[in-house]
Amino acid sequence: MARLLEKKVSRRHFMGLSSCALATIAIGSQVKVLKALAKDGRIDAPTGLGSKDVYSSCGMCVNKCGFIARVKDGVIQKLDPNPEFFIRSRAMLCARGNAGVKVVYDPDRLKYPLVRVEGSKRGEGKFRRATWEEALDLVAKNMNEIKDKYSRASVMFASTEGTFSEHFFTQLAECYGSPNTLRHPTLCLSSNIQGFGATFGTNPTPDVLNADFIIMSGANRSEALMTPDSIDLLRGDGGKRKLIYLDPRFTKTSAKADEWYPIKPGTDMAFILAMIHVIVTENLQDQAFIDEFTVGFEQLVPHVAPYTPEWAATECEIPAADIRRIAKEFAAAAPRAVYYQGRRSSFMANDTQMRRAMAILNAIVGNWDTKGGLIPNANIELTKHDYLAPWYDEDIPGRLDEGSVTYLSEKDGAWPAFRDRALAADPYPIKGMMVYKQNPLASVPNRAKTLKLMEQMDFICTIDITMSDTAWYSDVVLPEATYLERQDPLEALGGIVPVVAFRQPCIPPMFESKESLWIIQEIAKRLSEEIAAEFDFTMEEHLHHQVKHNPQILEDLRTKGIYYESTEPNYGRTRGTALKTKSGKIEIFSQKYADNGLDPLPVYTRPTAVPSNRYRLLVGRHAYFTHGTTANNPYLHDIMPENTLWLNPVEAQKLGLKNGQMVKVRSAVGEEKLKLEVTQKIRPDSVYMAHGFGVLSKAQTNIYGKGGSDAALIEEKYCPISGNVAMHETFVEILPA
Amino acid sequence: MSNKRYAMVLDTRKCIDCKACTVACKAENHVPLGRENYRNWVMEEALRGRYPNLGQEFTPGQCMHCANTPCKRVCPTKATGVNADGIVTVENKKCIGCKYCMTACPYNARYYNEEIGAVDKCTFCEHRILTGREPACVETCPTRVRVFGDLNDPNSEVSLLLAKHPHRVMKPEMGTKPYLFYLI
Amino acid sequence: MSFATVIPKRPGEMLWFGLLCLGMMAGAVGVVQVLIHGHDHVYNVSREIPWGILISTYVFFVVSSTGLCLVSSLGDVWGFEKFAIIGRRGHLLALLTLVTGFGTMAMELNHPIRMGLYAIISPNFTSAIWWMGALYGFYMVCLIVEFTSLMRGWTRLAFWSGLAGFFAAITAHSNLGAVFGLLEARHFWYGSYMPIYFIVSALASGAALTVLIVYFNHKARGIEMPPVYQEFMYTMGKLQALFLGILLFFVVWKIIPGLYGQPPEKYETTMAWITGPLAFNFWFFELGLGILIPLIIVANRRTRTVFGVMIAGLLSTIGIFFMRYDLVIAGQMVSMRPEAVEGASHGLIHYFPSFTEIGIVIGALCLCLFLYSLAERVFDLEGGHRH
Ligand code: SF4
Ligand code: SF4
Ligand code: SF4
Repeated sequence: MARLLEKKVSRRHFMGLSSCALATIAIGSQVKVLKALAKDGRIDAPTGLGSKDVYSSCGMCVNKCGFIARVKDGVIQKLDPNPEFFIRSRAMLCARGNAGVKVVYDPDRLKYPLVRVEGSKRGEGKFRRATWEEALDLVAKNMNEIKDKYSRASVMFASTEGTFSEHFFTQLAECYGSPNTLRHPTLCLSSNIQGFGATFGTNPTPDVLNADFIIMSGANRSEALMTPDSIDLLRGDGGKRKLIYLDPRFTKTSAKADEWYPIKPGTDMAFILAMIHVIVTENLQDQAFIDEFTVGFEQLVPHVAPYTPEWAATECEIPAADIRRIAKEFAAAAPRAVYYQGRRSSFMANDTQMRRAMAILNAIVGNWDTKGGLIPNANIELTKHDYLAPWYDEDIPGRLDEGSVTYLSEKDGAWPAFRDRALAADPYPIKGMMVYKQNPLASVPNRAKTLKLMEQMDFICTIDITMSDTAWYSDVVLPEATYLERQDPLEALGGIVPVVAFRQPCIPPMFESKESLWIIQEIAKRLSEEIAAEFDFTMEEHLHHQVKHNPQILEDLRTKGIYYESTEPNYGRTRGTALKTKSGKIEIFSQKYADNGLDPLPVYTRPTAVPSNRYRLLVGRHAYFTHGTTANNPYLHDIMPENTLWLNPVEAQKLGLKNGQMVKVRSAVGEEKLKLEVTQKIRPDSVYMAHGFGVLSKAQTNIYGKGGSDAALIEEKYCPISGNVAMHETFVEILPA
Repeated sequence: MSNKRYAMVLDTRKCIDCKACTVACKAENHVPLGRENYRNWVMEEALRGRYPNLGQEFTPGQCMHCANTPCKRVCPTKATGVNADGIVTVENKKCIGCKYCMTACPYNARYYNEEIGAVDKCTFCEHRILTGREPACVETCPTRVRVFGDLNDPNSEVSLLLAKHPHRVMKPEMGTKPYLFYLI
Repeated sequence: MSFATVIPKRPGEMLWFGLLCLGMMAGAVGVVQVLIHGHDHVYNVSREIPWGILISTYVFFVVSSTGLCLVSSLGDVWGFEKFAIIGRRGHLLALLTLVTGFGTMAMELNHPIRMGLYAIISPNFTSAIWWMGALYGFYMVCLIVEFTSLMRGWTRLAFWSGLAGFFAAITAHSNLGAVFGLLEARHFWYGSYMPIYFIVSALASGAALTVLIVYFNHKARGIEMPPVYQEFMYTMGKLQALFLGILLFFVVWKIIPGLYGQPPEKYETTMAWITGPLAFNFWFFELGLGILIPLIIVANRRTRTVFGVMIAGLLSTIGIFFMRYDLVIAGQMVSMRPEAVEGASHGLIHYFPSFTEIGIVIGALCLCLFLYSLAERVFDLEGGHRH
């Protein structure tokens, strides 16, 4: 029997709704509204527009893979990988990249400017549809009020990477006069940048394609996809390469690795130091390289003397014989070998020093700027967009988190440190929150604290494409056009072979969503004439400005979706030139650290032991979601509808818990409920849950009420050197729910 | 022009279970949402061993385009057929929804698509092949697990791969003569 | 026959018709659900278990039809005088069960109308379902002609159509077994067992239903059962003992090869059937109610009374309903790709009918009984035997 009376709201039915006018809109019932609209018959796509192919870059994660949008009759049919993008992304799109179409045609997307209903509380989700005019006025009015009442620094600006348009937002912060921008690195790789930067003067890229021997710890490359590494790891010239993988979990990378060691969490440094110990005691280092390019090897040798493999074996629970053997194999394969540094958030509060150890290990065997080693990034220059932030006579204090960590990035800030000071109004209060596509409620550990932070705000505005948790707790929500609907500036993607990418609209923005530049310009106009003057340009002008020195770049991007100057790596560029370190050489011993009262050579600190009846909570990635941003995507939701808590069967038996049952997970800062997955794939002393669930926003209709939030459980310890959060220092208790 | 015999060769050793192929297929072929609606899949095989000695395989699959075709045999209205190039097809308008083919397929390659009102399954993206493009799953696969081509052409990549490497098919005991080959 | 005779008057009758109407309403609700929401949303059948209780109920109906036809042909076609007394009623119920069976099947099919068209213009002769349609279609024609002839007293035509119907029933029904038996993919079904077993179980079904007709026909009219009918009941009791004995034999020989040597998939299915999720159905309904208890009743001379035989018939009919269900579901329980199924324990997939499906099944059963009860009032079903 065919279904006679009702048609489903299929993607086909969804098309063409953009022009429908809606009166007030209750967020929770958006789907219903869409269904109703689908029924009124206006379900057909506009015709007569023909087919076209649009070259652009993916916006689902940080990799920005190139794609070709197949557009027919004004509707995006499919995103196909762009073969021209081979040098960067190996001409592929991952599951998320393929699911991108659903970002546009998602009933849950933001469609109109929304204003929290007067008298309702934040988080109740009572929004009313507003005109752009009203919403923007409200934003400017509040920003001006806060500046008058407190200071310009009292508005914080949180934004995130990957949008290509973030620059305009941080420019707005600067022009408005607030020093308090908070970007993602302290939730991501700032300790990595710091550790490698202190050693090499830069954070290099491992030449995975050409390496014969790779050791990975803290980088789950078959699930946390990074292009081209994830692909090269398997594609490469197969068979010859050896992959040693350290992870407390059996991940998909473990499944592909030659050897997997379920290392005790937080002890990676012991493993690395022991490897260095073996190499220097057995004289396997590349002495010629060390002599020519490094400083401080003499101090290293006595420093690692106590770090024997036997010692390390008890720390990280990897047999001493294996450590010894791996060290020898690594040295033998060098310089076509890498200890792969990964890029994830840090595990422990001593993460920067752990990254230093990784860098040093690579340095002493000469894996630097040579085929198959660590390669300093090359870059293609684009003309910078210069602007002059207005000068304000008033007294504006410096960053709120100034001095909270040793090396604070002026632009990035340090999230957890910032939050603590903001909560204490130390030294001054933060009363306004401007958010561009960041979702601190899901991404900053200890969600309860972030909620408190938001509570104390006079005003919160979020610009996003979906109703994230943070948007859900905002006063004004502004819908940005998605990456498939907007023009973005050019972005130089550095790497072993650098390229330039950009985004151009595949279809015009649907509903009332707008390009971020327009949104920022409109806010600027309402703030002051001076600020508006700094944004007095069109996107087109901006693009041409970026390629002033070489218009070919834009030409190539429009027709091929990518610009590159060479398809081959250029190894050895830095040989004979000074590195960006104090000594101009690779700093095994860091005088800079010594001067700042930090350990100049990495000193091992043992992680806090797991208390009895507690488990260490681990975070990690999988290939279906990008952090907290894509779990609600209908295609991806089909793959993973909820998260589970992994627990080793031995422990499950001890606790009398069964696979599939609901459990309560309790940490010092929160409690979450989710399904238990009893699996051999994890160390008995640890538990794991995927990120992206347990959301607060009811407008994420697919996932609301499913699974648990890791951000609600993790305690906000952080690395005192880089400010990076330490994700693996939380212990939890598991109880039947 | 002589006919083709389309086939797919898969090197599962490279598969990382990223499910790009699954989503690409859903998007390309407008497969309705829902966990039971899919034309291709990637199976996480059972975990081998015991902590800490573990191993696991990921096996992508889809309609095997069997040469001895049970689904075609059982279809009462000839909605399921095999085209000249070996692709097993479903003619939507003839499908009566008896689901006999679903019970006959030993690979669970078919599902009932409510939106089109017929049983649906992998077509090797026939519409793409016609315009000279690869099937969506093949094109998007990051690690190039999947290779698609014509076995009637002795120099095609699939022919060369099968000549060079030992391989297997799924459930050979069923006698279905599948045209998805897995390298060992 | 006047309209007045059709209206139930006695309280018992009114209750009976009331109940049937309620049941039919449940079915109607189910059908409306399907029309509004589509199969996907109201049926519990899935990608892995595409055939659910509607198919098994369809099988139940057509098995009943076949059985009734075979048993009632004994008199009209094969000249066993004793059986002639149920000729009309038997054939009528055979027709009604067949029609309601088709109805149930149509509810499971997504496009019954397309079927009519393409089965004719695009037939596939290798498809057992195509043959099923063709043979049952022919069988239905035979039944209609046979019933009409019996009613009109056209004995020659009754004989020939009866004979044709008898063979159509056997071919159509063994072919229905083949619908399952030709599926190489489904180890539990595959092979020549199914066609043969279907015929045997049809006999048991037919015998059981016949005694129910006879018994309730008299009960409903409130008349004492004449000796010739009583005699018929005893005979049917003995026959039923034989049929159930054979059926038991079939069940045992279905199980033993399913366990012996643990043949892949067959073993898992057999275990699911006798010790797993279907075990209660198997031991209680199939074996207990369906075979053992009735067998004891009809085998024992003391309990083989009119009432006893009726009870045995009732119990085995209920049991047989579950036999069909278990058979259809069990065959699909082993996943074709065990890893693909979430929550599948030991690779077994579970199915439990939805409210809508159950509603439709109840509706179909009630509809069948309703039509029969109505027919009893409309037609003269007595004396359907030629002398
Ligand atoms: S890796 Fe996937 S999500 Fe990230 S940019 Fe590439 S296709 Fe998009
Ligand atoms: S796209 Fe390729 S690597 Fe990813 S799951 Fe599919 S077959 Fe495996
Ligand atoms: S895999 Fe299944 S659907 Fe495909 S040809 Fe073989 S039997 Fe038919």
